Amino acid sequence: MDSFLPVQVSWTPQTAASGSDFYPYTNNAGTVAGISGGDFCVMAADTRQSFGVGYLINTRYQPKMFKLSNGSVLGTSGFYADGLTLIKRINQRLEWYKHAHDKEMSTPALAQLLSITLYSKRFFPYYARVLLGGLDLEGHGVVYGYDSIGSYEPCLARATGSGGSLIQPFLDNQIYRKTPLGILQAPHTLDQVKAVMRDSFTSATERDIQTGDYLELFIITAQGVDVEKYDLRKD
Amino acid sequence: MSGKNCVAIASDKRFGVKYLTISMEFPKMFQATDKTFIGISGLATDVQTLMERFRFKINMYRMNEERDFEPITLANMVSSTLYERRFSPYFVEPIVAGLDKNNNPYINGMDLIGCSTTACDFAATGTPEDQLYGTCEALWEPNLEPEELFETISQTIMSATNRDCVSGWGAVVHVITPERVITRTLKTRMD
Repeated sequence: MDSFLPVQVSWTPQTAASGSDFYPYTNNAGTVAGISGGDFCVMAADTRQSFGVGYLINTRYQPKMFKLSNGSVLGTSGFYADGLTLIKRINQRLEWYKHAHDKEMSTPALAQLLSITLYSKRFFPYYARVLLGGLDLEGHGVVYGYDSIGSYEPCLARATGSGGSLIQPFLDNQIYRKTPLGILQAPHTLDQVKAVMRDSFTSATERDIQTGDYLELFIITAQGVDVEKYDLRKD
Repeated sequence: MSGKNCVAIASDKRFGVKYLTISMEFPKMFQATDKTFIGISGLATDVQTLMERFRFKINMYRMNEERDFEPITLANMVSSTLYERRFSPYFVEPIVAGLDKNNNPYINGMDLIGCSTTACDFAATGTPEDQLYGTCEALWEPNLEPEELFETISQTIMSATNRDCVSGWGAVVHVITPERVITRTLKTRMD
């Protein structure tokens, strides 16, 4: 193979504007984060949708997190259209699973399904950076972080998307307490985790132009999924 | 990073080429005056060249003027030194941090050709710039006392460099107060 470009699209002169090459991806950016706790999981995402390199805002409110039929939550960032397509495929597979097995798919099983779905498009990937949050078989909160071709790992706290590099070290600091100076403390309560999430996104919004407008929190517990909405900077 | 009548400046200690670590004791900051530091990130040869040029200019200024650089003057000197090389620039991004004659904090960050920005809160440069800014925004608050400022900047630099695979291998923190400069070395992950 000459190059490692994901796709070679042959485009006919009738359909392509002359002089401009067709590119199948757009970066609609945005940020998604997830933190898992003892019996809950908090997923968060901003609701801004930008266009291309980011100086244009398509809309200030376009949710990029979706509650799935089995009670988990899938957050997407990157190319929004690919995110939507991925959600459609995953929802379809969840429904088939329910009809075939007469039960809902577990979150760890869904995590594996999501991985192979992404990898099935290894050479024309979904340009989506996704996080999956939910409860595992024992009822503990769990967050799975992915790359766009399906590598994944369960984690305590994960941030991805355009503001991911700003938020991740802060989550390490507050949730993992990775630095030697940090004091190890008891597992985090839901209120603490929500506060960390809100701080993360207000901070990322200060410096990342593609993150902002509103923050949505999906709080996953055994009782179901609660959604909360907060304001972020709109500039 | 600025505090209440104090500023702090911190850097990691790694010097490497791509993924090869060459030194784990490479200082990127030096003391310009009693209450001012310059930190330089970027191409190591330019970092060293500039440190020597600045040292020379700072000494000449002290001898000619019989006083020390104010931080704002120093920042302007750094900026114009970089702009002299407008079309063959030094590949560096310096930060000037210090206390002025009234002991008010002064922080200035600039790009490789000397376009400078004065910040009232904090400035960051180098490969983990995103991580630093994200963590600074979340952890910093106004009017920190020297010890609080030390804790904040240390947590910031350690969290940020731990998420950047070409930074780390220890860190140095200077906290500049009107009375003295407190220098501490941080132990971090060495991988």
